Amino acid sequence: MAESPAATETEPLPELREQAADALARLQAELGDAIVEHAAAFGDVVVRVRRDAWRRSAQVCKQQLGCDYLSFIGGIDWMPTPAVAEEGSADTSTPAQPKEQTYGTAGSDGRYQLLAVVESTRRKSWRVILKTDLPDDDLHADSWVAVYPGADWHEREAWEMYGFVFDGHPSLRHLYLPSEFEGHPLRKDYPLLAREVKPWPGLVDVEPMPGEPAGDEDAPDGGEAA
Amino acid sequence: MGLVSSGKTPKPLQHLLNYSRKYSLWMLQWGLACCAIEMGAALAGPRYDVMRLGVIPFPASPRQADLIVISGTVTDKMAPAIKRLYEQMPDPKYVISMGSCANCGGPYWDSYSVTKGVDQIIPVDVYVPGFPPRPEACIQGIVLLQQRIMSEDPAERWRGVTREPIVVG
Repeated sequence: MAESPAATETEPLPELREQAADALARLQAELGDAIVEHAAAFGDVVVRVRRDAWRRSAQVCKQQLGCDYLSFIGGIDWMPTPAVAEEGSADTSTPAQPKEQTYGTAGSDGRYQLLAVVESTRRKSWRVILKTDLPDDDLHADSWVAVYPGADWHEREAWEMYGFVFDGHPSLRHLYLPSEFEGHPLRKDYPLLAREVKPWPGLVDVEPMPGEPAGDEDAPDGGEAA
Repeated sequence: MGLVSSGKTPKPLQHLLNYSRKYSLWMLQWGLACCAIEMGAALAGPRYDVMRLGVIPFPASPRQADLIVISGTVTDKMAPAIKRLYEQMPDPKYVISMGSCANCGGPYWDSYSVTKGVDQIIPVDVYVPGFPPRPEACIQGIVLLQQRIMSEDPAERWRGVTREPIVVG
């Protein structure tokens, strides 16, 4: 199927949806200079707030904007993956990734970011994506549990996976990991010990496809030569 | 069963005991991951129907089970629970490790959370490879286990004799 030239061009990012622009205006009125940056992402608004306004922005979202549903809280580590295979090597286990630190929508001051999405169950497409930067040497943020009780497990997961500490959380314990687990496995510099012990063997022992001659060195590997 | 534990069971009686054990394997339902869904379809479903082989997948507790099928990825968080359930099962008991994940970690071999093979925590009698295994492979694993039970001296386990595990395929 021949692609038309117009389809290959990069399509411009969608502008803010009407509801998102409305939500942004109301957030700006409430939070003022606590909003560091904002940007559009697929019609929604991404708002990066100062860390000291993290809980207040949740309160504003829930009480003033009517975002009664917390979709999720997550963490981001923007550090590039240290173990990326060289081009052309047999290691096909890691997809190509940027080698320099890049930041997503609405930017970041450093390596770690908190990310949360809140939305309304009553009004269609009424949602806000909130971000805040956490400095490397002080990974503290205010807990949202007092505002959204459902934040409890999300924050426990972010705590064990990234080491973010949520001040005011009722019990910051391990959720998915064994209680004696050490380290924060979703950080990019967390060593995968299995790989230290045994390097990725690459594509080996690939059997020939049925109907293809066996013993031919080139035939089995993925059919790139064709 | 003084005769069994002393290892002096007469041959015909041993044959009868093994025959009974072979065709009344109570299988503990222990769904760990996606292989558990496959196990429901490939073993308990009407097409392959493992009950015609005498495997009964309805024990109410591990204390009634003879066989445990580890179906799916074993995580470090779940490993203590598996060991505890296995230890609750009365001897003689058998373990089938179903699928690559339970055998060795499978595609999650380098994950921070996955146990690299359930044989690190409990002894495995039959390894069934596959991701997930074909229904035929699961059934073959059970048939091979039954053949082993048939040829087993029941006192072996009291004497601490361990046999090489069976690998299907």
